[in-house]
Amino acid sequence: MATTTATEAGPSRLRASMLGARFREAGWGYAFAFVPIAVFGLFFIYPLGYAVYISFLHWGILGKTAPGSGTFNYAKVIHDPVFHTALKNIGEYTVAVVPLEMAAGLGLALLINQKIRGRNFFRSAFYFPSIASSVAIAVIVLYLFSQGGLFNHASGFTTDWYGNARTVGWGIVGMNTWTTSGTVMLFYLAALQAIPDDVYEAAALDNTGAWRTFWKITFPLLRPAHFFCLVVFGIGALKLFDQPFIVAAGASGAPNYATMYPIIYIYNAAFGVSDFGIAAAAGVLYFILIFALTVVERLTVGRQQAA
Amino acid sequence: MTAQTPAAQAKPYIPGRARSEVVRKVLLYAIMLAVAAVFLVPFLYTIATAFKSIPDSVNVGLPHPWTTDAWHKVWTQYDFPTYIKNSFFLAAVVVSCNLFLSALGGYAFARLRFPGRELLFLLVLGTLMVPDQLRLIPIFVMIVHWGLFGSFWSYILINLVSAVNLFFMRQYFLTIPRDFEEAAKLDGAGYFKTFWRVMLPLALPATAALAILQFQGVWNDFFWPLILFGQGNPDHYTIQLGLAELRFTYTTLWPEIAAGSLIAIIPVLVIFLAFQRFFVSGVVSAGVKG
Repeated sequence: MATTTATEAGPSRLRASMLGARFREAGWGYAFAFVPIAVFGLFFIYPLGYAVYISFLHWGILGKTAPGSGTFNYAKVIHDPVFHTALKNIGEYTVAVVPLEMAAGLGLALLINQKIRGRNFFRSAFYFPSIASSVAIAVIVLYLFSQGGLFNHASGFTTDWYGNARTVGWGIVGMNTWTTSGTVMLFYLAALQAIPDDVYEAAALDNTGAWRTFWKITFPLLRPAHFFCLVVFGIGALKLFDQPFIVAAGASGAPNYATMYPIIYIYNAAFGVSDFGIAAAAGVLYFILIFALTVVERLTVGRQQAA
Repeated sequence: MTAQTPAAQAKPYIPGRARSEVVRKVLLYAIMLAVAAVFLVPFLYTIATAFKSIPDSVNVGLPHPWTTDAWHKVWTQYDFPTYIKNSFFLAAVVVSCNLFLSALGGYAFARLRFPGRELLFLLVLGTLMVPDQLRLIPIFVMIVHWGLFGSFWSYILINLVSAVNLFFMRQYFLTIPRDFEEAAKLDGAGYFKTFWRVMLPLALPATAALAILQFQGVWNDFFWPLILFGQGNPDHYTIQLGLAELRFTYTTLWPEIAAGSLIAIIPVLVIFLAFQRFFVSGVVSAGVKG
């Protein structure tokens, strides 16, 4: 009898101590993850709901400004011609800038991927504008393309490129193509280096020319990179804010709403007009729009990628 | 080509191919240098402008005479020392907090088993979907409500730890063999000691990459400093806010603006040149995995 209880007690005590270890591990797990989880909950998840809440109210800088709740903010935003302009501008910007960034980035990656001396120097040079701050870049580009700036001096133009409503949109496209192509290059470079050499050797044996090799072999093999860049830099383009803010010296959209983009609109509603309800409603609407675009992209482009 | 010697006829393609190879190389270098010029000339030109006098700044070309007036003005009249100090302070605090908290959280999600871990990790990844333009309004309201408006704490608090960093550290911890922790446990080390003394030192390459990219992120950040300090707290301006202010106020004081732009770029440039390896691997892996 005594012996059996002893043998029974053995495993159960072991189980108890294992259970204790499990509890201890879980306790430490919660302790380690607590602050990050609290930060994410408080500054990411909670604001989502709070933004929706504010969007249904009259809300100024210091809180509610008038009683009542409803969809009036949404109605105002949806019927605001300035918001329409912002959407049109960001649509045009994204459709123009993403292919340009990708083409430029791929071109740079192909150059860097050649067997030549000074590769590291060239790679650093191409990537350099990507690490510089958006404000410094915008300020420098504004200087170079000012009326009496270096570009006009060298080219003979007299246009004030970033002060003119017809050219400023393209100016921002050009500026960001210049700065972002270095980052795109890094992704394409990683993808190019993942293509096995024997693919090219086979092409060389068949005496395929360089141009044909690129279009028939390299470009199709880069498909995952194309889709990746399309998604990442497409979403990045929709967040445009810093450059138009610097160009227009604020969120006014000057000249003539040519630099009015959705996030500029949201900023202006909040800190220009002090209507947080409108700003929150515009934020929610724009979020829904981007989310819908992402879903559509996943369903079309993403499915192709999987195939 | 018709008057070839018999020896040349035996290998007819070699001379032509060698020559075309040379032409190709020269052409390639010419293209590379032209493209590099597109990327570097704007900065070189900005450097030249920063050493010009104001009347000289309308001229294209090298400064005549060279002068450091612009740097002097930026330093003494336009509060750049304050902006630089503020940016370095915020960067130091935010980088330290991110290093510690994302490593701690990343380790928990990589190695420690606790109920609800997968669900909480989904929440972490979900934060990547929440865009700044949506957080902007509620966070501003919360910061004002808590009495933190116009304080450095507002910026530090909302940037204590990011999901990208936590995810990055978790992925790195997953690649470290379990043997190290088991050895530590056999030596009687507790959970925190195992993390702090064993796992964190092993994750040094990841923490270095994270520190560099996070420093760049804070130093270059314009949006959140603008929201939190740009509404009437000039003594809290970061370098990017200060530079924007300089440009908005003195639209065409080009030498000063050029000097300010260079100051806003130099720290990140120095770190980039010193730690290029981390930049490249960090950007690509954060992008591919994130």
